Amino acid sequence: MLQSIITQFFSGFSVVAILIIAAVGLAVIFGVAGVINMAHGEMIMVGAYTAAIVGKLGGNTLLAIPVAFVVVGLLGLAIERGIIQWIYDRPLETLLATWGVGIILQTVIKLIFGPELYYVGAPKILEGGFRVIGRLPFPYYRLFLIVVAILLLLLVYYVIFKTDFGLKVRAVRRNRVISGCLGIDTARIDMLIFIFGSGLAGVAGAVLAPIKSVSTTMGFPYAVDSYMVLVLGGVGSLWGVLTGGALIGETETILSFVFNNVIGKLLVFLFIVIAIRIVPRGIFGYYERR
Amino acid sequence: MAEAVIRDDTAQDLPTNRARRSRRQYAAPPFLSIWAVIGGAAVIVLIGAYPYYGSSAYVLSLLGKFLCFAIFALSIDLIWGFAGILSLGQAVYFGIGAYVVALSLKLNYALDHPTRYGGKIPDFMEWNSLTAVPDWMMPLYSYSVAITIALIFPTILAFLFGVITFKRHIYGVYCAVITLAESLILQEFIIEYQGYTGGFNGITDYSNYATPGFLWFILFLVVVFFIVARALTHSRVGTVLKSIRDNDVRAEFMGYNVANYRIFVFCVSAFMAAAAGALYAAWVGIISFLDAGPVFSIEGVIWTAVGGRGTLIGPFVGAFLVKGAEFFLSGALAQWWQIIVGGLFIFVVLVLRDGIVGSIGNWLRARKKKATLHQVVEESDRKAHDLQREWRPAGEPETDGSI
Repeated sequence: MLQSIITQFFSGFSVVAILIIAAVGLAVIFGVAGVINMAHGEMIMVGAYTAAIVGKLGGNTLLAIPVAFVVVGLLGLAIERGIIQWIYDRPLETLLATWGVGIILQTVIKLIFGPELYYVGAPKILEGGFRVIGRLPFPYYRLFLIVVAILLLLLVYYVIFKTDFGLKVRAVRRNRVISGCLGIDTARIDMLIFIFGSGLAGVAGAVLAPIKSVSTTMGFPYAVDSYMVLVLGGVGSLWGVLTGGALIGETETILSFVFNNVIGKLLVFLFIVIAIRIVPRGIFGYYERR
Repeated sequence: MAEAVIRDDTAQDLPTNRARRSRRQYAAPPFLSIWAVIGGAAVIVLIGAYPYYGSSAYVLSLLGKFLCFAIFALSIDLIWGFAGILSLGQAVYFGIGAYVVALSLKLNYALDHPTRYGGKIPDFMEWNSLTAVPDWMMPLYSYSVAITIALIFPTILAFLFGVITFKRHIYGVYCAVITLAESLILQEFIIEYQGYTGGFNGITDYSNYATPGFLWFILFLVVVFFIVARALTHSRVGTVLKSIRDNDVRAEFMGYNVANYRIFVFCVSAFMAAAAGALYAAWVGIISFLDAGPVFSIEGVIWTAVGGRGTLIGPFVGAFLVKGAEFFLSGALAQWWQIIVGGLFIFVVLVLRDGIVGSIGNWLRARKKKATLHQVVEESDRKAHDLQREWRPAGEPETDGSI
């Protein structure tokens, strides 16, 4: 029993990686731009469809990642310019509007690609696996997911904390009016950060496509999981994404193994609710002065 | 105490004025305006008399459904429009109420209608190789127990949820996200434990009550809930709730226990949603996991938004319009209907911010005050309107055209 739990612990790493990959884009959009993006799941879905098309045309996941970043980034540009830019001051209503965007995206993709499922293969070099402890094989693709999760976190860290653009983003987030007075084009920063977050969601879709069949409704559970990660870890903190993802992923894997999937999810949900009762703004939450 | 109520240096300090103000008389609008009573009665008669002038059983079943949806939307409006709590999991309470009643009806139905293999248990239990009704489900054989559970259990759940979250100042986005996850989990729970809930197929095939008598009962409850909601939002508690919606920090500084007010209204709303679910289950005779899921919750939110949140008529108008349009258009535009719904979300947020009823209210107020629409919207810093917001001290002079 104990050994299988340890095995589960290791296979939980890949669940954690999946959660982090899915949540990073939302961490940027929700945490930095302050938009409650309910179309996040659908952005992941569009990224996955992009990967499916790239796969049909002979490319593989490694090629699909930049393509998905560009495609979903452009989608984000359209959403931001068309809708979000008017409602930055009403965060709860961005939720409704982006939910509408999500419904439209789902329907349009279904009209274009039909209701059938698509399958995307993993790249040749990432096929197969190795054994860690016990008899459970650990596929190379899962290892790849862990690497991607770490790289994405590093990328966001670099962009937000080490570049000129990131400095402006943080300035706008701290004090929009003063940043504007200092000559930062705040509307442009909002737009760029939304595009960046959307692109990351697209990357998540491209990376996650091989482990799940691609369908129009695949995104929503990822979106809810991502929100849970952010709520637990703390909005607007990369450490929060990492911690939240790790806690939720590991607890869910082990509890799902001990009980079953649904009980596991229920217990994780209760765990999150109790946790935010203790730390209302998440573990690494940012307590703003009002 | 008496003197310190209102100090207004600019007004003439006439003795009569002072005396009036010290008694704190407010020119509160009537509980229901005469036009609301007349219009409401007309609509009630129009719906209630349908069995006499119409013959379509389909339309009759739609009317009952829409009335249940309207109660559901009203429950969302109470917390969202009047207290500023956006819950994306209101269908949890609707779904629990519906499932308990449906289970009870199904259990009793199975007593008289044995399944193909002769068992006196619901068919979905037999499909999942249960041989007998589990012990904990026995109380549901009694209708009164079932109805009590269907109404009380969701309320208790809402109370626990409120105590956990609102007491710690968790609201806004956090509340929305947590309630969303809540309904997603309930949905998965229902699908997983199909031996007890019917799983994907839901609970079907039980004796439902789509009769004119039951329509009138639903209509009666709609009126009761409307009056309850009106009394609640028209009272002192309602005023405090609206102040919490507009600025919770300030309300807290004024000494109100913000969390308790929120918990209270959340419980009332959960009770209403559960009642709507119970009525719905008894009326339509089919309940599925979708009725407890996040999509249905957000549908309720959009009905409220389209009708006009912060108004009590809005949810009814929204539910009837959106749901009615869906039933009559989705046949012709099956593929495009979802796109229309999505567009509706965006349209309501970007253009029709006050919903239909709210916009009409704005327009009427603008006419009455001879101001532009823009000024009226600016005046109340919230989009949600209610005529009763126009409280003014009794001694205050009439406005002279400017706002």
